[in-house]
Order: sequence, then C-alpha cells, then structure tokens
Amino acid sequence: MLAATLLHAAVSPEVSSPAPVQAGGPVSGTSKSVSAQDLSGKSVDVFAVAAGKPVVLIFLRTDCPISNRYAPTIEALGQKYSGAAVMLLVYPDKAETSANINKHLQEYGYTIAAVKDTQHALVKLSKVEMTPEVAVFNGKRELIYHGRIDNWYKEFGRARSAPTTHELDDAIRAALNSHHPAPASVSGVGCYISDLQ
Amino acid sequence: MKQLNPRSPRSVILVACALLAVSFWSAELRGLGPDTTPAKVTFNRDIAPIVYQYCAACHRPGEAGPFRLLTYQDVKSHGRQIMAVTHTRFMPPWPPEPGELKFADERRLSDQQIATIKAWVDQGMLEGKAADLPPRPKFVEGWQLGQPDLILQAEKPYTLPATGGDQYWNFILPVPISETKWVRAVEIRPGDKRLVHHANMLVDRNQSARRIEKDRGSGFGGMEVRIESEVFDPDSHFLFWKPGTVASDEPDGMALRLDKGTDLVLNTHLQPSGKPEAIQPSVGLYFTDKPATVHPMLLEMQNDGALDIPAGVKDFVVTDEFKLPIDVDLMGIYPHAHYIGKDILATAELPDGTKQTLIHIKRWDLSWQAVYRYAEPVALPKNTTITMRYSYDNSEENTTNPNHPPARVLGGNRSSDEMAHLWLQVLPKDGSSSGEDPRMVLQEAWARHEVEKAPSIFEAHYNLGEMLQRRGEMDEAIVQFQAATSIRPNDPVANNALGGALLAKGDVDGAVQHFNLALKSQPDYFDAHYNLGNALASQGKFQGAAEQFGEAVRLQPGDVNAQTNLATALVQLGRLSEAKAHYEIALKIDPKFELARDNLQQLQQLMREGPH
Repeated sequence: MLAATLLHAAVSPEVSSPAPVQAGGPVSGTSKSVSAQDLSGKSVDVFAVAAGKPVVLIFLRTDCPISNRYAPTIEALGQKYSGAAVMLLVYPDKAETSANINKHLQEYGYTIAAVKDTQHALVKLSKVEMTPEVAVFNGKRELIYHGRIDNWYKEFGRARSAPTTHELDDAIRAALNSHHPAPASVSGVGCYISDLQ
Repeated sequence: MKQLNPRSPRSVILVACALLAVSFWSAELRGLGPDTTPAKVTFNRDIAPIVYQYCAACHRPGEAGPFRLLTYQDVKSHGRQIMAVTHTRFMPPWPPEPGELKFADERRLSDQQIATIKAWVDQGMLEGKAADLPPRPKFVEGWQLGQPDLILQAEKPYTLPATGGDQYWNFILPVPISETKWVRAVEIRPGDKRLVHHANMLVDRNQSARRIEKDRGSGFGGMEVRIESEVFDPDSHFLFWKPGTVASDEPDGMALRLDKGTDLVLNTHLQPSGKPEAIQPSVGLYFTDKPATVHPMLLEMQNDGALDIPAGVKDFVVTDEFKLPIDVDLMGIYPHAHYIGKDILATAELPDGTKQTLIHIKRWDLSWQAVYRYAEPVALPKNTTITMRYSYDNSEENTTNPNHPPARVLGGNRSSDEMAHLWLQVLPKDGSSSGEDPRMVLQEAWARHEVEKAPSIFEAHYNLGEMLQRRGEMDEAIVQFQAATSIRPNDPVANNALGGALLAKGDVDGAVQHFNLALKSQPDYFDAHYNLGNALASQGKFQGAAEQFGEAVRLQPGDVNAQTNLATALVQLGRLSEAKAHYEIALKIDPKFELARDNLQQLQQLMREGPH
C-alpha cells in the first residue's frame, strides 16, 4: 500500500519526489522483476510495488482517441479496486515527455498512477499490441488476462452505445478470487503500440 | 367610407426539418487490382502525396483529426493504424460507393493507393530521399474566405460530458441585421472540431426554435429540429459542416436571403472525448450585394410512417417514390437515417427509361452522415421518378444497434427512433409559361404525394391545403384543412387556416367558429385574433372586431395592419380620438402605409366637420 501511494505521488509534479522504490522484492511467483520509469524518470518495479497484490496495467498514449474515450471507464475501475489491486497507467511512447503525460492525466481526470515503458518491457511481458489494451497479473505474478477493456468498440469507428461485456472488470475479479474464471483474451481496438518503436 | 385592410388570412407552413444523418463506407476488403506499387516504397516519394491530399486537411492542429499527420514522424507513429483504417476504408471517410455521377471534393483512396500504404508499412516505413518530398500543402489559417462580414457566436457554450453516448445539441444564433442581406458564403465553425461529428444549420425565419429553449441563449437538446415557416419560403440551401469541410461561395445567382429577425439554428452531433469539453460554435457570414437570381429548393423525400422495425430483423426495407412535375437540376443530396440504417440507395429513372444511381451507401454510419454536392448538376427532366430505398438492420449483430437486446423501433425524431429521409437540392428550370413560381409546382406535387402516402398524417393535409389556398383553390384547400382538423381538432394553426379559407369563400359563420377554436387552444395567437377581427367586421360586428384587433395589437404592437384595422373598427364605433391615435401609431410604424394615411385624412375631415 505504501509503495502504491508513492507511485501515485509521482503523478503530481508539485509533490516532492517519491523515495526510490526498491527493485525486485522477494515476492513469490515466477515473473522476473520488470522495470518501468515513473514520471520523474526513476526506475520502478511494478511487482515490488504491488507487494503481492494483483497488478493491472493499462496501456495508453496521449494522442489515441479511443484510449482517451476510455478515461472515465478506466478511472472508475481504478476507484472500484483501489486498495485491492495496484492499477497503473502505462505510456509506451518513448517520444512522450513526462510533462505531457502529467497534462494528459490532469485533463482526463486520472488519479491512477502512471509509468513510462519506453523500452516496451511491460508491453512484451503483457503481450499487448494496442492502446487501450490491458494486462492483469494475479498475486503470483501470473498473466491471467490481456486484451481489450470491454467490447465498446468493434472496429475503428464502430462503437456500441454502451459495452455489453466487461473483460477487464471480470479479469480483476478473477485475479482477486481464484474461484472466478478469467475471461478469454480478446484484442482491443485502438492505436498500434508497434507504431511507437 | 373606410375599408379594412383586405390582406389575406395568415397561416403557417409546417416544415419538419431533420438535422442529423450519417454515413459509412464499405469495410470489406477489395481486390487490389494490378499491383504497380514500386519495389521500395518511401514516405517522401510515395506516401507523403497521399497523406497531403487526403489526410492532412483534418489531421493538423485545430482540425478534426485526433492527431497530426504532417511529417514523416507523425505518419510513422501511426503507420499500422493508417494501414488498418485505409484497408477497411474507415479513413479517409467517404461512404458513397464510386459511381457514374461524381461528387465534388471526393475524398476516396484508390485501391492502388491503399496497397501502396500497406507495402510501405510492410517494408518498414522507409523515409526515402529528402529531394523526393513534395512541398507541404498550405492551409488557410482562421476564416477560410477572409474576415467574414458578420460573425455570430453561440451565446453560451454547451458542456459536453466526459463520457456517455452521442449528444445532440442545438444552438440558436440570432442574426443581428436591420435589413435583408444576401449571403454568398457561410463558414460554420462548430466548436472544437475533434468533438463535433457534423453540424447542420437551418434558417429559422420566424424564430420558431426559440420556443424550445428553456433559457434564452442556452440552446436545446435533440437530434431533429422542427422549424415552422409562415410564408411559402422553402429551404433552399444545405448549410452543413463535416470534418474537412472548406467554406466556399454559393454558385452565381444562388445567394441565400436572410431577413431581419432571422435566427440560424445549428444542430450539432457531438461525441464525448473522455473529458468534459465546452462547445461554443460560431458562424461567419459573407455578404454580397447581388440578390439571388435563381432559386433552388430542398425537396424532402421520406417514409418514416413505414418504419416499424421488429426486433431482430436484419433487412427491413422502406421506399419512397416521387415523380418530378417539372425539369430540375439536381445540385446536392443528403441521405438521413439513424443508428440502424444499413443500405442507403437513391436512384432516378428518367422518362426515356435511363436509370441513374444518385447515391449508394452500402454501410450506413450515422456518425459520418454528410451532404454530397455533385461535381456537375444532374439534369432530371419532368416525369423522372426518384426512388429512395433504405434498409435497416435491427439485429444483435449490428454493433450500432442502440438496443441490447434489440427492440422494436418506430419512425420518429428521437435518436432512439429511426428515420428514412432524403433531401435533394434541386434547381427548377424556368420553363413555366404561366409565370408561376416553379418551386410552388414542386411543393404542391410533393404535398399531394405526402397525402397519398400518409393520409393519416396531419402535416401532409395541412401543407397541401396551404399550397392550394395560396393558388386560390379554396374548395380543395378547405377539404385538406378539414382533413387536418379532423386529425387534430384543436390544432390552432389548422383551425386558423381553415377559418381563413372559409372566410375567403364567404362562409363567415364557419370562419368565426374555427378562429374561435384556434383561440381556445392558443389564446395569444395573433393571426387568429387578427383574422377573427376581420370576420366580425365583415358581419358589421365592430364591437367584437375592435376587441379582437385590440388583442392583436397588444400581442404585436408593431403590426401596422392590426393597428390600422383596430382604428377603423373604432371609427365605426364612434370612438374617433382612440381611432386617430391608432392610425397615428400605424403611420409611425410605416409612414408610407397608404391605407392608414387615407383613412386618417378622412377621419380628420370627419372630426373637423363634427358629429352629424
């Protein structure tokens, strides 16, 4: 919980820099420690931060109209599972500045912590291809879901008036309670992360 | 001695105007034809010309595109996305199928161009030689046609919520002019262009939309807007904005007339972006001193009455057919359906049997509805039959179906209803020997067609009655107004019109009865008071007439006819000094109004001579 709070603080530039997060804590599980950068450029091991809680990574870029339209949905899920899981916004665009990301967080009303993944280490670990796609790891660092948030978009320009399936929500519940099955992975609709290489 | 102003009774034309529409393009993969793609595709030589011509107009700062596409880096950082959206023809947005008739400003990639983009991405998005890069297109910043003569801005912004479904908001823009102006061009700036899917502007010559606003200047919600018109003055111009629209001058002689007291109503289709946004449109008007010499009109085909679409049905078809009573040039076309529209087709069969496809959209999408202007006017001779054939997909497979699970959908104006509309901008050819306005011939044929198609629809009878009354066909007009009042017995407008037609036929008692019915439903109805005053005066009932004209001038003190007629009724009642005061008011309003001047002179003579 403490580590999550520190990450959150990193979102607001006016808050003094968070204490360095120790990399690769002795959390049980199989995934290697994977580093991203917080918005002040410091290395962060997201699993160490999670301290055994499920980790939810949400991949965004500031100029992807579809991931932007998801902002209220993402923030609401962040609130819903606050404390139970560690949710992080991941910006994989190496050309994106921290200042621009902070502006983006503010404009879209995000209170969820954000990290940069300029080397695409989290992208690879999460097997995501688009923004917005998400990855859900259980407390054992096992990737139990990756793909779309829900079925709002069927293809570019074709959105339902409201989604009728909610894969991310279902996946987080599965991560919190092993009796819940994780949903099958379905690709998202949005902007290709591979364009950012 | 004195006469009442014999002005014909007033009535109102009801025109329902739909504001929203949509479009899409085929998403199936096409055969890509003979491949002439160069072995090594580069941005500078092969891709930049495509991006500059088809993408950059919208994908630049301040425009509708959500990101820039101006440089190699811009394009590369969305390369796979561009490949995907061009492959499905989602971008650039151009829903109509290619056909024999060409539209102006077609923004449609060829199969070869799509293949070139794919090859470029597959080959690793090479930049190429700097020398190969064509100059970047120059775009006009700010107002496209220079500083407008008049800029209108919505009084209050509308705050678009961060999330939720599509929003439809209407802004009323009063036009602050003191005399009639002719408009050669209109530039619509709909607000933040990234959020506005399209905007459609209506000319409201009677400030009728203001009645819908809760607070002055706040605008009002709703996908469709209904504008009422008091005189025969059919809509003439499409005033439409979609992403990429560049303002341009109307053709020679086709200026748009705007009178004092006109409002422009801007209907916008907005899509939440993920954060709250303020939308405050503005409109630039460019005037000309050349009045219109030719008069196009918007012809509305529709079959909303046939829309009763059962849940789950994948291919529900409605049609409408209209035979042109005169020769016209077709200038533009605007198909309109809502969320479950599927295949939109309009065709023309000429008298010689030739068939033409006017527009075909195989995969309708409300979000990309648009007005399409033909590159060249399409000549459609008299007796051409125009057919619209729309299909609807109310199944679960239709992603855009707003109902989950699917539900029965009926025709109507709400966004959850469906519509089947097709507007055609036609320019009637001047071949009439009778000197009759050819637009009236068209409008009457249209009104007759509406009655035949939907005999239970109030507006159909009312509008036909109105056209007939205007032509002096009072017996037929009375039949239509009676049909309208039998559908809506208390409708004030129809009762007023029926009263007027009966009065013209000399049935004063019948007229009085219907004017009274109109006033019972709408006590502050100026026209009905005025007309009832005239009817009572014609019966010699000057006390009642003075009361009615008195109400009329209370409602509209600036109406010169009502002031004059009130004065004349007062003269008949011997209330000479009151009468004099009202003639004087009338002449203050219009110093050249001869009837008031003559009557006042006679009254002054009478007053000098003293009571007999």
